[in-house]
Amino acid sequence: MSKIVVEKLSHTFGKGTDDALTVLDDINLSFESGSFNVIVGTSGCGKSTLLKMMAGLYQPSDGKITLDGETIEGTGRKRGMVFQQDAVFPWMTVARNISYGPRLRGASKKECAEVERKWIELVGLTGFENRWPRELSGGMRKRVDIGRVYANDPDVLLMDEPFGALDAQTKERMQTELQELWQVTGKTVIFVTHDLEEAIFLADRVVVLSARPGRVSHIEDIRLDRPRTNEIRLSEDLLAIKRRLWDLLEH
Amino acid sequence: MNSKLFQNWGRLVLGVLSIAVVLLSYTLVTIQPDNNPALLPPIPDIIGAFFTNITRGALFDALGASLYRISMGFLIGTSCALILGFLIGWYKTIEYIFDPLIEAVRPIPPLAYIPIVIIWFGIEEFSRVLLISIACFMVCVVNVIAGMKNVPKVYVDAASTMGATRFQIFRTVAIPAATPFIFTGLRVALAAAWTTLVAAELIAAPNGLGFLLQEGRRYFLTDQVMMIIVIIGACAFTMDRIFRIVQARLTRWSEARE
Repeated sequence: MSKIVVEKLSHTFGKGTDDALTVLDDINLSFESGSFNVIVGTSGCGKSTLLKMMAGLYQPSDGKITLDGETIEGTGRKRGMVFQQDAVFPWMTVARNISYGPRLRGASKKECAEVERKWIELVGLTGFENRWPRELSGGMRKRVDIGRVYANDPDVLLMDEPFGALDAQTKERMQTELQELWQVTGKTVIFVTHDLEEAIFLADRVVVLSARPGRVSHIEDIRLDRPRTNEIRLSEDLLAIKRRLWDLLEH
Repeated sequence: MNSKLFQNWGRLVLGVLSIAVVLLSYTLVTIQPDNNPALLPPIPDIIGAFFTNITRGALFDALGASLYRISMGFLIGTSCALILGFLIGWYKTIEYIFDPLIEAVRPIPPLAYIPIVIIWFGIEEFSRVLLISIACFMVCVVNVIAGMKNVPKVYVDAASTMGATRFQIFRTVAIPAATPFIFTGLRVALAAAWTTLVAAELIAAPNGLGFLLQEGRRYFLTDQVMMIIVIIGACAFTMDRIFRIVQARLTRWSEARE
């Protein structure tokens, strides 16, 4: 079980000053264990801030977030995060990046090798174990990033527009692969994006945030069959949902 | 022939050519009948001074003394710079304590300390090593601090969301991310060490390369002075090259800058 609950969360930058800016207003959400959740919203709606609060990188000014009943304060390995920027450590080889988490906790050489083998294979980087990140393409580095977070065995995966910087084809392939990883591992995922197609393709549930201040304006359950394939991207079902959500984002 | 190889060759040829042109022009001037060899000694005289000083044992003694001072001063100065730089760059409280001090002292050229060091510690070996240490420390610490402050936040956040403690982040993220800056710091410290060494030895030393320079000036041995200048240049150059090789080894991960 790994359920994240956001309760009465509001956040104001510079609270109590003249130029205080409220970015999140009275957010109440609950993310079920094992579900794939996507938060969408236009830029500036605070979706990324909300995700970073779940990671423990920021504290909300009001309200709280709990993981399995425990209030989140500070970062922790139970809540792994994939960032929009390239966060792969350039001074470590692909394999060392993958086993970074276990090594932090003093895993033995054998355990590390096991973790490296497993996740390098699962993210499709076999043969690149001893490469430096600079020798890889952007998409491959993102795979290292995702593999590294998975190899750390968190309960929840927080993903902040992880594919935002990738080209369209790579992005679609990565989405399909992420769906497969999610189905294999069954971990709770909370994924932030502004790309509606990406959101609908991946999610069990799409949370739409309105902008300035960010409020939950709509929650859409996506009931498209899994595994979802590229054909589904052009299906009437997906496009209908996309049109509806698009209208919601406009307002 | 691929273009990269051609580029490397072209670079080598031009480099050799530029040195050759300088040497040739110098020779052309020195073979003029009205040239005063006491001011511009011909190249064979400079080479002669090299052998004279080897046979009388002066050159290796001087080289040994100077290299010892450089090594000691460099080691002490840069060790302090690394330790303090890491702490200042990583812990806010330590930064607030030391930053004003370093900023206040930083613009003072290390040579300005020569009189006070002599007054306090006399014309001893300790004084010379101390001066070089100060010079190395000052230029190095600034780079180490900059390196620690420029660690991209996303790496720190990534490590922290994977459960790394603050100290683990310091050890596994901050220090490796700062290595390019650290190496720059070490290399400028080495250059500063040479500058300070010669100045310190010119003023007060019973031996060393600076002493041979001073001796050459006193007895009008211009060929000896020229020879020592070349030796200092060659030593500093060689050391810097060695550093670059070590740096290239340790920062293989970063973008190649060939």
